[in-house]
Amino acid sequence: MSRYLKLVNFELSRFMKIYLVLIAITVISQITGIIVKSKGYLNEVHRTIYGDSISKAQYIEEYGTITFMDYATSSLWFLAPIALCIAALMFYVFFIWYRDWFGKNTFIYRLLLLPSARLNVLLAKATTILLLVFGLVSIQLILLPIENNIFKWIIPLDFRTDLPIHEMLEQSHELSVLIPRSFVEFIIHYGIGIMAVLVIFTAILFERSYRLKGILMAILFGLLAIVIFFLQDFVELLLQKNYLYPIEHLVVRGILGTIVIGLSIWVSNFLLNKKINV
Amino acid sequence: MIEVKNIYKKFGRKKVLNGVSFTAEKGKITCLIGVNGVGKTTILNAIMNLTPINHGEITMGDEKISDRSFEKITFIPDAITMIPSMTIAESMQFMQDFYDSWNQKRATELLGFFKLKETEQISDLSKGNTAKVNLLLGLALDVDFLLMDEPFSGIDIFSREQIADVFSSHLVEDRGVIITTHEINDIEHLIDKVILLDDGVVLKAFNAEDVRENEGKSVVDVMREVYQA
Repeated sequence: MSRYLKLVNFELSRFMKIYLVLIAITVISQITGIIVKSKGYLNEVHRTIYGDSISKAQYIEEYGTITFMDYATSSLWFLAPIALCIAALMFYVFFIWYRDWFGKNTFIYRLLLLPSARLNVLLAKATTILLLVFGLVSIQLILLPIENNIFKWIIPLDFRTDLPIHEMLEQSHELSVLIPRSFVEFIIHYGIGIMAVLVIFTAILFERSYRLKGILMAILFGLLAIVIFFLQDFVELLLQKNYLYPIEHLVVRGILGTIVIGLSIWVSNFLLNKKINV
Repeated sequence: MIEVKNIYKKFGRKKVLNGVSFTAEKGKITCLIGVNGVGKTTILNAIMNLTPINHGEITMGDEKISDRSFEKITFIPDAITMIPSMTIAESMQFMQDFYDSWNQKRATELLGFFKLKETEQISDLSKGNTAKVNLLLGLALDVDFLLMDEPFSGIDIFSREQIADVFSSHLVEDRGVIITTHEINDIEHLIDKVILLDDGVVLKAFNAEDVRENEGKSVVDVMREVYQA
């Protein structure tokens, strides 16, 4: 196994305990939520039907049926663990570097003294973040049909409208960001994600190389990355003309994103080999 | 041979290294001596490319030191370089996974030599045992050069003696050692070459054996002469 893969494996194992806790919170919260909310809905239905002395059909006519996504997109039980996972991973993008420098931990010595290209350390950390994201998205994809079945099991057919999972995803803006609807969307969403992670990593390496001065350099690098990525928008805004068709827009955006990714990796490699300070 | 040629290093406005040059040969123990803050650790960091220098050159053989060199040269800093939550066995496994030059037989021998238990967690170790684990992880690599930063710093007398014994044992063999210390007494009789540093410059570099035989002085005597002058 190459040292890069060994590093990825090592980095993953370092986050595994917290990761499993995040998965457990997501599973418990979402499944508890679907049970609590569905039961609550049924209680409400019974209260209304018996309180107002109306029939089931009259209730449905007046209030309509519910879908699984009505619950999912409006319930904190469902959305809060997703937000927690996103926040934890965003925090981890920084922590994955700084934990090796600070406190009693001087593991950065060991990482930088490995007999392999130092860039492998950066690529392994970036790959780890990506795999952690994919892992959580996969868990969500597995959970959705399970939760949908629990929902169907609790709510009688008359009171609900069933939708296939892919249609549910199409209806939910929140989930469609995490679980793209097409391959192109997948490339766009996760490409931007990878680019952002690499730009942040480069910014961190600027700070670790030049300390206080490095913070300013990190901010400038971040701004440069934004300018490059949105270059076509800036040009069009400046000239007040739209020169490109949507598909051309997409291609140019892809090229600019690739330039930002390439630049980040090149600058990071330079910093790791020539400027880094432990 | 490791050759440090005229290196300069500034941290902000403070000049830490001011044209330091010396060589360290394989099979010899070269000792960098000086009070705290004279740039001893910075020199070792610079050799291992952990601190960029402003000017000068550092080579091993005829090549610049890079990540490809780290199977031939290793650094043992004064702090443990493993994750505190790891056990000694896990740390050894990590080294075995990443270094082709890892010598498991020697690692097992060192475990016995230092009387360490594989199952102990790094964070639970005493300062002395932490230094020993650090040394174990470096010495178990089949490298040509070992760089050690203050291996005796802040540890008890028995651990110091045990660590000093390593230098005269077959565990160091014919490897080159560059060591920084200000606690010279434990290893004075083992040192081959001495580099006395002050204010980022080499005040004096000499062969310890020559001084002992020709002038009848110890390394400490020469240190007194140089630093008190």
